[in-house]
Formats: sequence, C-alpha cells, structure tokens
Amino acid sequence: MLTRLLKKIISTASGRTKFVMAVVGLSVALLLILSAVQIQANYNELLHGKTNTDSTANFLVINKQVNNQTINATSLSDDELNQLQHQPFIDGVGNISASRFKASIESYTSTFPFYTDIAFETVPDAFIDVQPKDWQWDENADFIPLIIPNMFLDIYNFQFSVSQGYPQITPDVLKMISFKINLQYGNGQKVSYTGRIVGFSDRISSVLVPQNFMEWANRRFGNSLSNKPSRVVIKTKDPGNPDLVKYLQNHGLTADADKTRFSKYRQIVNAIVGVSWVTGAVMLLFALLIFTLFIQLTIASCQTEIQLLITLGASPKQLQRFLMQQFFPFNLIVTFIVLIIIAVLQYLLCYFLQQQHIFLQPLPSLSTVAAAIIVVLVLWWVNRSTIKKYIRM
Amino acid sequence: MQIKLENIIPIPLKENLQYRSSDIWNTTQVFNAGEWVNIKAPSGTGKTTLIHFLYQLRFDFEGNIFWDNTNTKQINADAIAIVRQQKLSIVFQDLKLFGNLTARENIEINRVLQQPYCASEKIDEMAARLGITSILNQKVSLCSYGEQQRIAIIRALVQPFEFLLMDEPFSHLDNNNKKIAAELIAAECSERNAAFVLTDLDDNNFFNYHRKLIL
Repeated sequence: MLTRLLKKIISTASGRTKFVMAVVGLSVALLLILSAVQIQANYNELLHGKTNTDSTANFLVINKQVNNQTINATSLSDDELNQLQHQPFIDGVGNISASRFKASIESYTSTFPFYTDIAFETVPDAFIDVQPKDWQWDENADFIPLIIPNMFLDIYNFQFSVSQGYPQITPDVLKMISFKINLQYGNGQKVSYTGRIVGFSDRISSVLVPQNFMEWANRRFGNSLSNKPSRVVIKTKDPGNPDLVKYLQNHGLTADADKTRFSKYRQIVNAIVGVSWVTGAVMLLFALLIFTLFIQLTIASCQTEIQLLITLGASPKQLQRFLMQQFFPFNLIVTFIVLIIIAVLQYLLCYFLQQQHIFLQPLPSLSTVAAAIIVVLVLWWVNRSTIKKYIRM
Repeated sequence: MQIKLENIIPIPLKENLQYRSSDIWNTTQVFNAGEWVNIKAPSGTGKTTLIHFLYQLRFDFEGNIFWDNTNTKQINADAIAIVRQQKLSIVFQDLKLFGNLTARENIEINRVLQQPYCASEKIDEMAARLGITSILNQKVSLCSYGEQQRIAIIRALVQPFEFLLMDEPFSHLDNNNKKIAAELIAAECSERNAAFVLTDLDDNNFFNYHRKLIL
C-alpha cells in the first residue's frame, strides 16, 4: 500500500526518455566490458586449454646466438642458467650437454656401407618427447641406444634415398639395424661399441644418448673438463608469451623461431582486448554518471513531495529503501539480459569455431559471471550512495 | 509524551517578543502527558512558528525543547521520523496535503507509514462523521478549503499518537462542523489518553481544556 502511494507521489514518468537513455547506455557499457572479460577468458582457454595444446610447442631449445662476439663462447654460465630457471614463464630447464670426445659411427655390413664422424648430446629424460623401452644403458649393456631427430629420417627417405637410388627405410626397420660406434681416447686410440637407434624425436634436433652413458664416456674419453652446456631445453606453458620472447632477445638467446613467432600476433590481440577493456570501462563510467544524474533528477523533481513526506513522518531510510526498489531492479535486469546476450554470442562463437577445429566452452566463463557480480555491486553502491546523498539534502 | 520548553525564543522575532509578556516565549513551560492545552495567539506573535518548533520543522530558535526529556537538538532525522510516526501527530494551518492524490490516499499515507494503528474502514467512518464521504475518492486539489481541512484532521487521527498539535484546525469550518470535528478529536484523544496543544487567534471553547495560555 505504502509503495503504491509512494510510487504515485514520486513519479518517474517525467524523465522517461532520460531513463531509457540511462538504461541503454548502461546496457551497451556492460555488454562491452563483459565481452572484454569473455574474450580474455576465451583467449586464455585457447592458449592454455588441453584440447588445443600441441605437446611439442611447450619445449624450446635455447642457445646463444652465434655471431662475431660470441664465436667459441656460446656456453651458458651458471648465472645465466640460474636466471633462466627463475623466470616466471619458464617451468623447467634441462641442460643439453655435448660429448667431449671424438666419435664416429660405421656400418657392420658392406651391403649398406656408411661411415661418419659424429658427436652426441644428452638431456634429462623428462625433456625428451619419446621414452622408448630400450632407452637405458649401463656398462654391461649390449648396445648404446640413440635417439635421432625424426627430421634425419625424413631427409634420408625423401631426399637422399631418391637421389642415390637407395630404398626408403621405415622407422621400425631402422630401429633393427645395429652399427658400430667408435669412441676415441685423447691419444687417438679407438674403442668400438654397438649402437642402435631406439627412437625418433620431434623436439630436439640432435643425436641423443642416455645421460649416464654420456657421463661415463666423458669421464673415460673426454678431453676437456668444461661441462657447461651450450644449449638448454626449457619447458614453458606458453612459447608465444611475449615476455619470454623479449627475455630471449635481451639476453642474446635464440629459440625455434617457428614456435615463438606467435608472440607478435599475441601482442596485437592483447592490444585489441586491452582497447576493448578501456572502452568498456570508460563507457561504464559514463553510464554510471548518466544513471546517477537520472536519480538526482528524479529526486530533485519530487523535492517538494519528498520534503512533505518527511514532514509527515516518513523516515529518510524508508524513502531510500523505496527509491532503491525503484532504480536498482533495472540495473539487475540489464545485467541479466547482457549476460544472456553474451551466453548466446559465446554459444554461436563456440559453434562457429568448432567447425574450424578450435574448441571453446559453450558457456560464458566464470570470470565473466564474477565480473557481472562485481559490476552489480558497484551499481548497487552507486545507486545507494546517490539516493542517500540527495534524500538527506 | 511530555513536551518541555526551556527559554525558547524565535530568532527572527527576538526583537518584537523580548519585551512582551508571554506564557510561552522566554520562559519554562511543560505540556504534560494527557493534558489538553489551548494557546490563544494574536496575529504576528509566532503561533505557527511555535507549532513548527514543537514539531521540529524549524530550528531557528534560542533555548531548548525536550521531547520526553530528550533535547530535540540531539535527535537525528530517522529518530524524528519514528517520533512523528508513533507519538506526535499534527494538523497544519496550511494543511500540507498532496494535491494530486485523492482524499483517501492522503489519509492512507499517514495510516500506513508505520504499522497501521487502525483499519482502513476507520477512514470511512470518520469521513462519514465529518460529512466528506462523497469526496474521499476525489483529487484533493479539487476540494474546497473546508473539505481539505477535514481531510487533514482525519489524516492526523488515523496514526498512533500520544500528543497532537493543531494550528487553527477549524479556521475554514462553520460552527456546526467545528463542533462535530472537535467531538471527533476529543474522542480520539481520550481513547489514546493523548495530550494536545491547539493554537487559535481567538478565545474558544471547542474542548474542555485543562489550561489556557496566551502566546
């Protein structure tokens, strides 16, 4: 009853156009700001979500750029390694250590003769993308297992074999071929072992041997004491992270350019999302201003009536509560409608991207809903403080 | 409810009133619970001003006013509202009605601002007694002064109160209507055991006053 009478006394009809403008302004601002949150959430999901991640992309092989200044001094110092380990965008660093002795491999048979000088590298197992069951070695082992880059086999199969008229080899066949590995002491004396390829790596473009073999062989045949790595493998959540790329540049390091070049696109997208954030925030500010002015105007246009109500015994608190009931529900409705619009857009986007094999959540993200709740709280506070201020005047 | 005045004097009328003898200004006066007081006040002596001070609509006075031993200077807006809803009712000289509401709505507002003291039917009953049933659903701005005055009287009586302030409440009524209205007010005040202060220009015998004062 009281509400009905108060509604009749404090009429909002006089400012209907202004009210519609205020509500429209608020809706557009909310749509912008919540879309920005949703886009950011989608973007993070695309970058870090499991369904879209390529496993090789998370490991980068890093070394110093070879140029006139760094020639023969490309090994990484302990300090540099330590620094790398402590960067927030790097989850793990695995040293790639190289063999410090001369070695060669040759075939056992004359049907398929080959001979080449060779060097090995080793890296902690956790950083290798394949874990073949034969990937182990001890001093009594029958053979030394090797992992070679997949690329080597491709070069042979699609380039070398064609030009030389040799048969192509499948990975399984290659794994069965044993060959001779000659390791050489500093004085030139050679010892021969049997070697076999046990796996193919997409991640590390080097001939890898097990770590314990490398330690043993370096001790036995090695000709220098330096054990500083000149290359490392890093594990990172996001190889396109602009911070990572910037860090590498600043420290004269290079990584597989293919994997890091997305950082440029990332910066552009970041900028666009940033602009949308700022625009949304500015719009929201203006919308709040319009809404505040609208509340002021309504109260000012009913000043006499409000004054009379207070004279008759209406408490300021009663009137505040009434006015809050008049204005705040519109804010809630607007927020709710905007959330529904965003949910529909998100669903359409999800459906559209699915056809391009990009996978997104079909529902708005939790952060979008959280942002909506925060905006509602801000609106509630602005409504309340404006009403309070002008009623007490 | 008791209202106590302690050396109050309106600041705008200070010059005029300082050398006049008065039962109210610049002296101590207590209106006790249940007491019916008439204040005779010739024009220009601050009759309406006094009512507004007692109701806390104006604050431009020297001295102190106490509502049940609480100095009104220490009461905030929300607490004043509670006193006006529960203890203190008023009939203004200028009536202070909402012109664009109907007579009934004007009365209803005062009934429902707090937990209602009486049922809505009481409005019809009182309106019938004062002879304004026909205009209850009419916009107040279309009613005559006499009708508006009776609306204002009913409005003051539908809320709970312990003290009623009346500022020339019958100025637009004929003698017969004055008598009927006074009977209604007396009945309502007796029922509540409420006190009242009535100010008027001339001497009158509308009620069996306990005291008659001169402003």
